[in-house]
Amino acid sequence: MSPMKGIKLPKINRSIGAIHPINQTKEFIVDFLVEIGFDYIDGPEIETENFNFDMLNIKKSHPARQMHDTFYVNKKENVLRTHTSPVQIRGMLDRKPPLDFISGGKVYRKDDDATHLPMFHQIEGISVNTDINFANLKDLIFRIVHKLFGNKIEIRFRPSYFPFTEPSAEVDILSEDGKWLEILGCGIVNPIVLENCKIDSTKYSGLAFGLGIERIAMLKYGVNDIRDFYKSNLDFLKQFK
Amino acid sequence: MKIFYKHIVDHINDKPDKRYLSEKLFQLGHEHEIDGEIFDFELTPNRGDCLSTMGLLRDLNLFYEVNSIKPIFSKDIEHFDYKFSNKAQDACPKISFLKIDIETIPDIYNEELESYFLNLNLKKNNFFTDISNYISYETGQPTHCYKAEEVENGLTLDFLDKKQQFKTLFDTKIQIDPGNLVFLNHKNDLVNFAGIVGGKSSACDLDTKTVIVECAYFNPEVILGKATKYSINSDAAHKFERNVDLNSHEYVLRRFLQVVEQHTKILNVQLYSNTYKQSPQTVIDFDLDRIINIIGKNIEEKDCIAYLQRLGFVIKQKLIYVPSYRNDIANINDIAEEIARAIGYDNIEPKKFIIDKPKIKSHDDAVSQKNSIENRFKNLLIDNGFCEVINDPFTFQNIKSSIEVDNPLDSNRKFLRTNLKNSLLDNLLYNERRQQDSIKLFEISDVYSGKSNMSKKLLGIIISGRVDKNYIDFNKKLNKKYLVDILNKFIYRADDLNYEVISRDGINSRTTSTITYVEIELDANTKINYVSNDNENKIFDLNIKYTPISNYPLSVRDLSFSIKDFSKCELLDNYLTSIDNDLLKEVFIFDHYLNEKNNEIKIGYRFVFQSKETTITERDVNKIINPIIEYSKSMSGVTIPGFE
Repeated sequence: MSPMKGIKLPKINRSIGAIHPINQTKEFIVDFLVEIGFDYIDGPEIETENFNFDMLNIKKSHPARQMHDTFYVNKKENVLRTHTSPVQIRGMLDRKPPLDFISGGKVYRKDDDATHLPMFHQIEGISVNTDINFANLKDLIFRIVHKLFGNKIEIRFRPSYFPFTEPSAEVDILSEDGKWLEILGCGIVNPIVLENCKIDSTKYSGLAFGLGIERIAMLKYGVNDIRDFYKSNLDFLKQFK
Repeated sequence: MKIFYKHIVDHINDKPDKRYLSEKLFQLGHEHEIDGEIFDFELTPNRGDCLSTMGLLRDLNLFYEVNSIKPIFSKDIEHFDYKFSNKAQDACPKISFLKIDIETIPDIYNEELESYFLNLNLKKNNFFTDISNYISYETGQPTHCYKAEEVENGLTLDFLDKKQQFKTLFDTKIQIDPGNLVFLNHKNDLVNFAGIVGGKSSACDLDTKTVIVECAYFNPEVILGKATKYSINSDAAHKFERNVDLNSHEYVLRRFLQVVEQHTKILNVQLYSNTYKQSPQTVIDFDLDRIINIIGKNIEEKDCIAYLQRLGFVIKQKLIYVPSYRNDIANINDIAEEIARAIGYDNIEPKKFIIDKPKIKSHDDAVSQKNSIENRFKNLLIDNGFCEVINDPFTFQNIKSSIEVDNPLDSNRKFLRTNLKNSLLDNLLYNERRQQDSIKLFEISDVYSGKSNMSKKLLGIIISGRVDKNYIDFNKKLNKKYLVDILNKFIYRADDLNYEVISRDGINSRTTSTITYVEIELDANTKINYVSNDNENKIFDLNIKYTPISNYPLSVRDLSFSIKDFSKCELLDNYLTSIDNDLLKEVFIFDHYLNEKNNEIKIGYRFVFQSKETTITERDVNKIINPIIEYSKSMSGVTIPGFE
């Protein structure tokens, strides 16, 4: 019998890859919201100004519509969507209330510096029913924030402004070093937007929320520079396996 | 917008401290940072009415006894028979001009005016301009001061008909495009870029004793974006863009005069004022039930009325009359927000949100199918060591159907990509330059092309270098066959896909390994034959904590161990793979050979070193590797050829 028999060979370590951390964060949030009962829908990244702005009550005079904030394509016929909100319009036009759905994906702003990228990711959701109110919105937001940052996190709601919600709020969490960090925007759907989507605003009301995925991913993983997500450095990516 | 703490708190009876005032301002929605005694605000764009001490105090009146009444010039003012022609009445529905003649220019300012410049660290210009800036800070209404002699023979407001050069009062020259709103003097010289910046030629100077003060309302649409476009830092434009109070002119100009009179003797004052279009009074039904339904909290009618009254609203016979400075209030939801702010968003108790309806399929079928294929591809690739990347779509490459960006960031990002190859090739080369020798990347993205913005979902896969970092795969090269073998597990006829070996000609790289690329269109028709354990949804927990990566070069050392006492293999491996050193990035077996004739095992270990702070030196590496060599050698039956 050969003395070699029975020797244990070293383990063969096969490398495991990784889903991009931004997509992991997105899937995490989507899964949670689908569990609550939201449907998931998709929408195009190239949008009309009508869906990206007008239908959302973002008037021609709004600063966001300037050439220095929004990418225009096809001889100004279209825009690269500046937020995922036009999907809400598409969803509302396609469905009849009560409706509850979310959407997520890439959005574009004409920015490129240390803290802003020309492309980033958002998730947002909307729920329209006969008796949706701000207190319901708070409950939903608390659940989302608790899911992301734990039940003990301190949360602050403060008034803000989005043309498509009224009242509008921004939500902050208290960081370990005592600073309030803004993590999402939300509000009661502006009745003008409901009417734009042929929904009777005297009968129905809605809540809506949106969050920037990079922001959440940076906080969760402890990534300080947003640009690290898009350098495609394997040493970076492999940490998320 | 910077506001000095004292300029606010002096008007509040309770004198709240900074922390408490800050809390209340946040409750109102007025985001700010505090630097010493200065509150630096970033107000939401709908609240142009709060861009002043007076505006903030109007809001703070919800919580405090505010006393913001300031003395105004109360004498009668003569009519100013001014030759003003308004050829843009829609853009400017109201305008006033005040002509003031003073006896002397004061050497020092009173405490109020001086405090504005001193505490906010602002530069003084000249007497009238200084007052104009202060009045804007106090009331939110910008005014513009012309040297009277330059414009007293008449002024016209009109849209510019042809491009014209303009020297601003900051001494910079700009070319104003036709269509912009400007003021022209009687000689038709451009003297003021309306609402944005005044001209050098008509600006006041240190000797100006006769001034014409312009106080206007411009439609925000007319001003919007222009300061940014012409790179002018304009406080006036910032305010006009966010809307000012159409009905404030008389108060503002009388405040202006009061401050002048506090400093010098006014010899003569005349007022021209013209309203071309009245601002409509906004009236909203006072519907308490609606307000309660929107907020989701019971509110007493008397409290609701009190909140609104404290904010300047008038309530009469179930109607709410909105004050003229609140251009942002149009419907009952806006009113509900006012009430919610007054209560405090944080004081509204959450109420259970439930989605209660028959569960329909969460995606429509096509989307669901597509996502499922996408997720399965991802899992297959991850299991084989691939990393997912995400790239932006901007490229310099223009094919016939490329969609062109009208306002690109730069000429290298003028088009939208129609494939994923070039992004992935960039990613691959980036990693090669960082000494990665086994690169397996993929990206899944929608791409758009053509007149109708056709979209398709693509999966791009790119590989180069070693198959993996273990002794079986270390010397195998990533190539087409490798990809086919993996994809065959998953899709029908994977060998028929279009695999491309990307040439390194023209690519500046020292690496020579083959780059292979394949692109697959994912749609509901993509035929898959791989029904694994159907673990199609990976569960993410987001609990990974990222460690910053190094940008310094690697240093590699290989050691070949010869082992005759086979029981030592595991001991050696345990030792080598558990060395904890910040500079040692990884250790792995790259070669393993059993020599039956000599009764010997040879194991090759690779040690990869990298520092986070600097380029690692031979000495640094030796300091770590030498003790490893010594320790290994001390094991009986283990030798390291070359190190006996």
